[in-house]
Amino acid sequence: MSKTTAGSNSRAPDLVEKSEKLRRMTLETCIKARTGHVTSCMSCIEILVALYHGGILRVDPQNPQWEGRDRFILSKGQASPALYAILADMGFFDPKELEKFAQAEGIFGVHLQHTVPGVETTAGSLGLGFGSAAGLALANRMDRKNNLVVTLLGDGELYEGSIWETAMFVGHHQLNNLVTIVDRNYLCTTDFTENLIRLEPLADKWAAFGFAVERINGHDTDALMDVLGYARSRRSTKPLVIIADTVKGQGIECMANEPIWHGAAPTGAMVEKARADLERSFLR
Amino acid sequence: MSAVTSNLPQRDAFWTRVYEIARQDRDVIIISADMGAPALDKIRLDLPNQFINAGIAEQNAIVVGSGLAMAGKKVFAYAIAPFITLRCLEQVRVNNCMMKIPLTLVGVGAGFGYQDSGPTHHMLEDIAVMRAFPTIEIDSVSDSVMAADVAERSIKERRINYVRLDRQTLPDLYKTGHDFRPGLDVLRPGKDIMLVGTGIMTHAALETAEILSKKGIDAGVVDLYRLPVNAPALLNAVKGAKKVATLEEHFLPGGMGSAVAEVLADAGSTLPLKRLGLPVEKGYCYTYGGRDALHNWYGIGAEQIIDSLIGFAKG
Repeated sequence: MSKTTAGSNSRAPDLVEKSEKLRRMTLETCIKARTGHVTSCMSCIEILVALYHGGILRVDPQNPQWEGRDRFILSKGQASPALYAILADMGFFDPKELEKFAQAEGIFGVHLQHTVPGVETTAGSLGLGFGSAAGLALANRMDRKNNLVVTLLGDGELYEGSIWETAMFVGHHQLNNLVTIVDRNYLCTTDFTENLIRLEPLADKWAAFGFAVERINGHDTDALMDVLGYARSRRSTKPLVIIADTVKGQGIECMANEPIWHGAAPTGAMVEKARADLERSFLR
Repeated sequence: MSAVTSNLPQRDAFWTRVYEIARQDRDVIIISADMGAPALDKIRLDLPNQFINAGIAEQNAIVVGSGLAMAGKKVFAYAIAPFITLRCLEQVRVNNCMMKIPLTLVGVGAGFGYQDSGPTHHMLEDIAVMRAFPTIEIDSVSDSVMAADVAERSIKERRINYVRLDRQTLPDLYKTGHDFRPGLDVLRPGKDIMLVGTGIMTHAALETAEILSKKGIDAGVVDLYRLPVNAPALLNAVKGAKKVATLEEHFLPGGMGSAVAEVLADAGSTLPLKRLGLPVEKGYCYTYGGRDALHNWYGIGAEQIIDSLIGFAKG
């Protein structure tokens, strides 16, 4: 199990604390709904916390459609509960909505939905959000806006051919106002990526497409802030891709790194086990 | 209004109008999947910031175009018809239809437009497939005047639409300034049988009606140029005829004829209907030698249509 940022050692203990809170909120959302991709959420919690609570993204919870906002495109749409938890925590909508996740009276379901305040796109069909992000970044350049566009891709999503069509496009047009983050948790639905169809050497692939590549521990908020902190004022003309090495199910030992937990929420006796694992992970 | 839209290739009329508007509106953006045209060259040279060559990557053209549209751009994505439609269905379904992001897909080569290029380049399923999606409109263009009008309204109305352009230059049916909002027009009245055509087959329907009239059958013609069908207008257009026949250069299941059948059936109409098009049982065709040869192979050659319709009218 990869280490989360040790709270006491982090330069930003508030972000570590937020990550813990968001892990709890996400897990409880999925437990209550008895559905949701818990492990896919757990691998990208620190990434989302750095972007939103770390102040990288300029957004306004009171005015989700604010013209001057940065755009975050969650291309791996199955991590929607994590994003919904963050948006609720920031005040984009009432956190009580999380209790109605995937319920008839709720405003959202398992995969990402553009109608939710603070959400830019519908996602769930993989490989599409990256292109939307590229188009938004290109529009910002055309309009001479210095807004940032950030997109988060799953590593399993990289099997979609359209990802590489977009990568070629972004590399050619040198869209350095676009930040692409790959949640590299090494797991797909049924197996590890390197058993399925090898993705490595992943950094070399992105570099060959014309990207500047940063590879970091995606659970280390300090490392995330270090690389994201200068994303808006990069001098390089190359677009930036951050390969964030993560653990699918990070923080919940009984579910982590187990393909069988893809797309599932704990039920029955697993509920308390998952909660206990999570609390224990915070003590490390 | 432009004065240069008479008897032009639909493609040139379409892009010429886009160019004229794009010069005044820098939010008009064209993404081409490595397709050219004289008017497109003007856009590329005169308005380089509004022209993007995506390479032969139609799916990426759709998603990048949708991202641009999310930021307020008015985007055209252009390729050979089968590639901008069938290859990109998932992209169009999610990024446009689900999210209601306006985008204009422009496909050149409706039906057998690329006549001798073989079945990969024939577009024989697009109406059936594209009309299955909510929110998308199909503009099935029958002349250059309409092509220019569709270009202009695509920008003004910010719709999600698929424009199917014929590659062949067809004679103009309409005068500049024609009101295309109804989605269909009666080009010729007829009491015995009303022929409903779309695209190039509207021209075939006009020729057929002329011949039928000489044989004592009073045949009218409707040009159905937009789907979903304007049902009240269609019912009104056919109500004076005893029978209805549809003509399309498209496989029969789910095509324009099916759309007409749905309208008639839903309205409780008892008008006899005959659909003429490509029987799906015939499969794909590797016959060459021009569009007429292909029509004959599939059973929709000019004489075959006349024979079918005489039998239908008298039956």
